[in-house]
Amino acid sequence: MLCLLPWGMAHGLQPPSGRVVLTISGRVGKPNVADAAQFDMAMLEQLPQHSFSTSTPWYSEPRKFTGPLLRDVLAACGAQGSTLRAIALNDYQVDLPFDDAQRFDVLLARLLDDRPMSVRDKGPLFIIYPFDTRPALRSTTYYGRSAWQLKRIEVR
Amino acid sequence: MATEAHRGPLAPTGGPRVERSWRPTLLGLLGGVLVLVLAAAALVQVRQFALLKHSVASQDDYVALGIYQVEVEYYRLRESFLRAQKPAVPLDREALQLRYDIWVSRIGLLRNERTARLMVGDADYEGPLHMIDAFIARADEVLGTSRPKPVDAAALAALQPQLDALARPIHSLSLSAAHRVSEQIAERNQAVRQHNQVGLLLTGFLLLLVLAIGALALRQMRLLRERQQTLVDLTAHLREARQQAEAASEAKSVFLANMSHEIRTPFHGLLGMLSLLRDTGLNARQVDYLRTATESADHLLTILNDVLDMSLLESGRLTLSEEPVDLRELLREVESLMRPQAQTKSLALHLDADPGLPEKVRADRTRVKQILFNLLSNAVKFSDRGVVVLELRRVTGDGGGAQLEFVVTDTGIGMDQATLARLFKRFSQGDESRSRRHGGTGLGLEISRSLARLMGGDVTATSVPGEGSSFSFRMPLHEVAPAKPAAPQTAPGAPTGTGGPGPLRVLVAEDHPVNRQYMEALLQGMGHEPFFAGNGVEAVQALRERRFDVVLMDLHMPLLDGVGATLSIRALPDGAAATVPIIALTADAFAQTRERCLMAGMNDFLAKPVSPERLSAMLRRLFGGPAGETEATRSLPSSPTTDLAPPLLDHDTIETAQRAMPRERLAYLLRSFFEQGPDLVRRLRVALRDGQALDLRVNAHAAHGAALNFGLTALAHTAQALHEGATHVPAHEVARLIERYEQLLQRSRAACEAEGLLDARTVTE
Repeated sequence: MLCLLPWGMAHGLQPPSGRVVLTISGRVGKPNVADAAQFDMAMLEQLPQHSFSTSTPWYSEPRKFTGPLLRDVLAACGAQGSTLRAIALNDYQVDLPFDDAQRFDVLLARLLDDRPMSVRDKGPLFIIYPFDTRPALRSTTYYGRSAWQLKRIEVR
Repeated sequence: MATEAHRGPLAPTGGPRVERSWRPTLLGLLGGVLVLVLAAAALVQVRQFALLKHSVASQDDYVALGIYQVEVEYYRLRESFLRAQKPAVPLDREALQLRYDIWVSRIGLLRNERTARLMVGDADYEGPLHMIDAFIARADEVLGTSRPKPVDAAALAALQPQLDALARPIHSLSLSAAHRVSEQIAERNQAVRQHNQVGLLLTGFLLLLVLAIGALALRQMRLLRERQQTLVDLTAHLREARQQAEAASEAKSVFLANMSHEIRTPFHGLLGMLSLLRDTGLNARQVDYLRTATESADHLLTILNDVLDMSLLESGRLTLSEEPVDLRELLREVESLMRPQAQTKSLALHLDADPGLPEKVRADRTRVKQILFNLLSNAVKFSDRGVVVLELRRVTGDGGGAQLEFVVTDTGIGMDQATLARLFKRFSQGDESRSRRHGGTGLGLEISRSLARLMGGDVTATSVPGEGSSFSFRMPLHEVAPAKPAAPQTAPGAPTGTGGPGPLRVLVAEDHPVNRQYMEALLQGMGHEPFFAGNGVEAVQALRERRFDVVLMDLHMPLLDGVGATLSIRALPDGAAATVPIIALTADAFAQTRERCLMAGMNDFLAKPVSPERLSAMLRRLFGGPAGETEATRSLPSSPTTDLAPPLLDHDTIETAQRAMPRERLAYLLRSFFEQGPDLVRRLRVALRDGQALDLRVNAHAAHGAALNFGLTALAHTAQALHEGATHVPAHEVARLIERYEQLLQRSRAACEAEGLLDARTVTE
């Protein structure tokens, strides 16, 4: 099953087998459950992983974040739109432009310092912009868009 | 005094000059302040920038949100707790766990340094945190990751009180956070407001500075304008002053010219009477006294002339009247005048003229003589022994032009360097005692040199004390071509020396009784018959009534002056009266006067005082030699003795003319020519009187052509002379030529008649 998954990704999204950690709804081209795309952690692990270290306002020191690129995740389910509404476990929501995922290497982090993030650690998923790489991102706007405890993305 | 007067009009510049010395300092000061102000403004900007950056970095607004979230999640957790304890509903452990984990994650955020920075020192920060930590420690036993104990309603119920107890502390934490943030915002606003105020102050200050600089610039411009105006005023002032000075000088010259006549007139009376006295039979003592008186009068006249000359030279009004001058004759005159003086002092006088010199030159005879007399009399004055030499030679001047050089050398006392240096300065007379003894105005050399320079030359001197001096007078050499053969012979066979024309009827127009007496004596002494008119009107009237041979006309007379009388005379209907020679007697030396006389139709001038020699010379010139020459003798065909006079008739031409046309025709033409002759003469005289040189030329040319065709050679020559000389020959010469033409006309006619050329045979016209 695992070895088939990459092949499955290219042609359509398999339904999740484990616990769903992320639901992408709205203008989704390749839904796998009803008209939404649901991912479990294994599916996200299958996508190419990237990591970078960056300093953030939430940690006193720079931390290493690892995970798939947001745009890869969106591509995997054929999401196409102009705005992404990120909604967190505590009902925090914020709108990102769809372009941000394309322009910047926005990470959908699942590992903090190579360790999975529990809810307490702001996991399981954290949208992280490469703050240290791009000084322009170090502003309130982008800090606001960096939603942790990510639950759901609505593509509009 | 002079400096003050000098600084008077320039005083305004004294002020600005002081200001200018600290102007740079003021400007420097302003500049420095400007720089400081700009630096301060920059500083404010930098601080503001830093402030804003800091606020962005600290994210205080989001920290507050974080703290509110703690409270929100707390209530959600409590709600979950309560729901989970309801017996009817099955326990949703997942949801509870999630709620708990989310809340705990929010607590973690409370601990980070940003929050710590915001809430530092706040009592409501540490207390709640401790209580929260305590609760979490106990709750983790049930809901923690390791899950040592099972989750059931009972366990939750045990935790409930502790959970409830957290409500108030968490709430006050939220409120504190809110207050803190608000304070921070207020502080920041205050800081921004302060920056704004400082910014405004700086801007205001900058504005003031700009205004100050602008004001300074304006002031500078105003000062500049003021200074300019002062200069303009000064210039106008100076111009006015100069005009006044010039006007004063002009007035002085005019005054002097007027006075000269007034002074001279009684003078001439004095001199005249003195000279007449000489002939009235005096004893030796009287003669001696008379000589002294005459010498004094002469000296006074010299002084007067010098003063007048000086005034003319200074005002630039002295003009030279150049004419052809016979050099050798000039030298002879000079010699004859100087010889007596030299002989008195037992000095030898030599004159030496370069043989290569031209016969005649263009020069002002009077002035050249004046200079020579000055130099020679100085030489005689300052020599007690030896010889005075006057040499005349041709030299080349500095500019390459030909010059005449008169050198006067003496063997006198000489002069030292100091005296030489002062020589040409006025009133400096080498040897004071000697000068006083011999008289002299002290102006002589200065006048001589000024005159020489006016001519285009100079007077220079060298000397060796004890041995003698040498004065060199140079002037440009302008040769005059020898006289034309056609120039009229004034008196064929006239004697060279003594004698004069026969008794002439002379009309003297003169308003001064003394002068009239003098002229009477003079003329009678020459054997002429003088008649008198007291003014111009009487003179014209006299000419209307009677014939005179010549008129001596004083220029300044009441009622009608000399010029006016001349004009009236020339306009007389009677031809003979209208053409009477008029000689002006004038005391003033201005060239304009001479011009006016010539234009009026006068023939010549005699300067007052009238010297017998000059008067007789002039009369001789006009009327020829001693009595005996009548009209009859003069109308004979010209004798071979005067080889320069052309023949009356040229027979070759006549024969040619006779061959060209019938005899009767030629006779008719000749007759017409002679009949028109007088008319032509009248036209010539009118042209002369009116100064119409062109008319003169035209008529003379016509006459010349006609006369030449008919072979009337003498007539043709005279006409030719008239034609050529119309513009530059003096008026009295032209008058003489016209008279000669008239005479020749009659003689030619007589000659033609004698040869039968005028016979009219058959006239078919």
